Amino acid sequence: MNKLEIYDPAMCCSTGVCGPSVDPELTRVASAIFSLQKRGFDIERYNLANEPGKFTENKAVTDFLQEKGPDALPVILLNGDIVMESTYPSNDELSEWFDIDTEELNDRPKNNSVTIDISELK
Amino acid sequence: MFQSFNPKTFENTQFLFFTGKGGVGKTSTACATAIHLADEGKKVLLVSTDPASNLQDVLEVELTNTPRPVPNIENLDASNIDPEEAAEMYRENVVGPYRGKLPDTAIKSMEEQLSGACTVEMAAFDEFSNIISDPAIRNRYDHVIFDTAPTGHTLRLLQLPTAWNEFLEESTHGASCLGPLSGLQEKKELYEQTVKFLSDKDQTALILITRPETSSLYESNRSANELREIGIKNQMLIVNGLLQTHLSYDEVSSAFYQRQQEALKGFPKGLKQMLVYSLPFVSYSLTGVENLRYLFKQYTMPAKVETQSQQENLQLPKLSSVVDRFSESQTRVILTMGKGGVGKTTVASSIAVGLVEKGHKVHLTTTDPAAHLEYTFSDTFDHEKLSISSINPKDEVTAYKEEVLSQASESLDEQGLAYLKEDLDSPCTEEIAVFRAFAEQVAKCEDEIVVIDTAPTGHTLLLLDSAEKYHKELTKSTGEVPESVKTLLPRLRNPKETSVVIVTLAETTPVLEAERLQKDLVRANIDPECWIINQSLHATETQDPVLAGRAKTERKWIEKVRDELAQNAAIIPWISEEKIGYTKLKEFIIN
Repeated sequence: MNKLEIYDPAMCCSTGVCGPSVDPELTRVASAIFSLQKRGFDIERYNLANEPGKFTENKAVTDFLQEKGPDALPVILLNGDIVMESTYPSNDELSEWFDIDTEELNDRPKNNSVTIDISELK
Repeated sequence: MFQSFNPKTFENTQFLFFTGKGGVGKTSTACATAIHLADEGKKVLLVSTDPASNLQDVLEVELTNTPRPVPNIENLDASNIDPEEAAEMYRENVVGPYRGKLPDTAIKSMEEQLSGACTVEMAAFDEFSNIISDPAIRNRYDHVIFDTAPTGHTLRLLQLPTAWNEFLEESTHGASCLGPLSGLQEKKELYEQTVKFLSDKDQTALILITRPETSSLYESNRSANELREIGIKNQMLIVNGLLQTHLSYDEVSSAFYQRQQEALKGFPKGLKQMLVYSLPFVSYSLTGVENLRYLFKQYTMPAKVETQSQQENLQLPKLSSVVDRFSESQTRVILTMGKGGVGKTTVASSIAVGLVEKGHKVHLTTTDPAAHLEYTFSDTFDHEKLSISSINPKDEVTAYKEEVLSQASESLDEQGLAYLKEDLDSPCTEEIAVFRAFAEQVAKCEDEIVVIDTAPTGHTLLLLDSAEKYHKELTKSTGEVPESVKTLLPRLRNPKETSVVIVTLAETTPVLEAERLQKDLVRANIDPECWIINQSLHATETQDPVLAGRAKTERKWIEKVRDELAQNAAIIPWISEEKIGYTKLKEFIIN
């Protein structure tokens, strides 16, 4: 099984709700990854502000930081190799790496249950 | 009317919290209690958690966040938890080990991320929890006395344990939005313990301090209810600064006395349920150990009477001159700043009314979580040129959450939304929401003058600090940044657009606080335009010995403001009635 590691820039929270505005891209990535992790896929995400140790433990990441600086984050590692930088994987890429149906990540809510308030019908 | 306050009441209570709006005498009462208990041979630790603490000024000793003995008082140690400093220590703990291992730019970006308002607030709370649960402290001291922050801030501080615990329990994805305290899971037990201590009446007593004034009593009642709701039920009240006698022929003296008595007639029912004590209005300033000892002996006059000075009273310009200047200079944004309880709301309201009278269109607003603008304008006023609003943190959070979720619902499925919702329940959201609301109010100045009655000092600074931080982050963010946020800081720094008015009383603490505030503002490149000395007894002609004694102590503070601190200074005399409503506020400007 593939192993995905995402090294985020220093940020308050991975959904990005703590900024002056919400970044929809961060929210998409956060929820896609959350959903993949729940299915048991091997995905780790590290934030420079909280887990700097993870950045020094991995030589590829330390070298990347030395060379390009923190502004080039995030950096994405697939099975230990840098596959992307400065951007997050799209849902298509994620579904390819983990061999699942893109639909499962892209899908809009299916189970929007309809509630009928009986009292109103009376 | 009320029994005199006696620290003996707390003989068996280890933790004592003194709380109340800034300027009600919280610090001096906490200090006097600490000294009294220490004098009786109890081991006492006195801690201030106020971001704008003046414990050092009252005790006349330099303090840090490590407890140290107070000179000349046996058995008393004191410390001052400066949240900024606590945050810096926290930051250094996280970042320090990586210096040299990660590039400097990465270190810098970590530091920047860890200097936001959330970190400051959390670091202060963390220190506070550590003290409460530290067995060494519990064993060493008979009493730990907290001189806490102004009401709004304290409430949030005290509410945090509950908020965090609920948040941790409900969080299914490892609490991702707790950046500043990523090791929070480990702290869960500590915070739970803190809540337990706070609501255990055998261990903790909460002493609310109030002034015998309608607005102050109203505020205390609100705090008492909110604290009761979060489980802190062992409360008592001190009515501080009660004038015991008066001169019937002296206009100011009898008005001062009558006004207090009137306020006490409307004593809120909720407060009557608890033990109520009083402390006298005294003619001397409550700084220094000797004076603090007099307080509990109920001395209204100092033991040594100072020689009467023959000098005439100082003369300073009136509030109307300030309004005239704003009217002519076409200032767009006016911020009244200063410690809580100095009358910022009244001054802001008066300036707003004064500018309306000069024909300007004005919007008056407040970011003070403990403000009472509605109360100030409780008469029906009808003026098309004046609009008022207030920034209520709770409402702002709700609105912000709704906005974010509705934006995100287009691109997220149900699970994603649930995930986002969890992050939005983080206590950090409040800072963001309030900050955005503040920015929006300032942006209104495009077509009207905006007068903002800001929150008490510490909170306001955190807000401005966020402004700076967000301003830096804008260049990086890919999300939609509201125009109001983008233009905020440059606007606040432009003296042609923005004027900061510092409001103070002619007393030790408010002036020293205001001086620090001015320094902080100057560092943030904001130069206060003028100082207003509010409610000055010195500017009246009272013959009442206690009030006249106090008027004399004001002199040196008025001189300090006029000669050392202010670009422009104005003075508002103590006025015999509370100015409530448009018509009455207008009198401030005319006189």
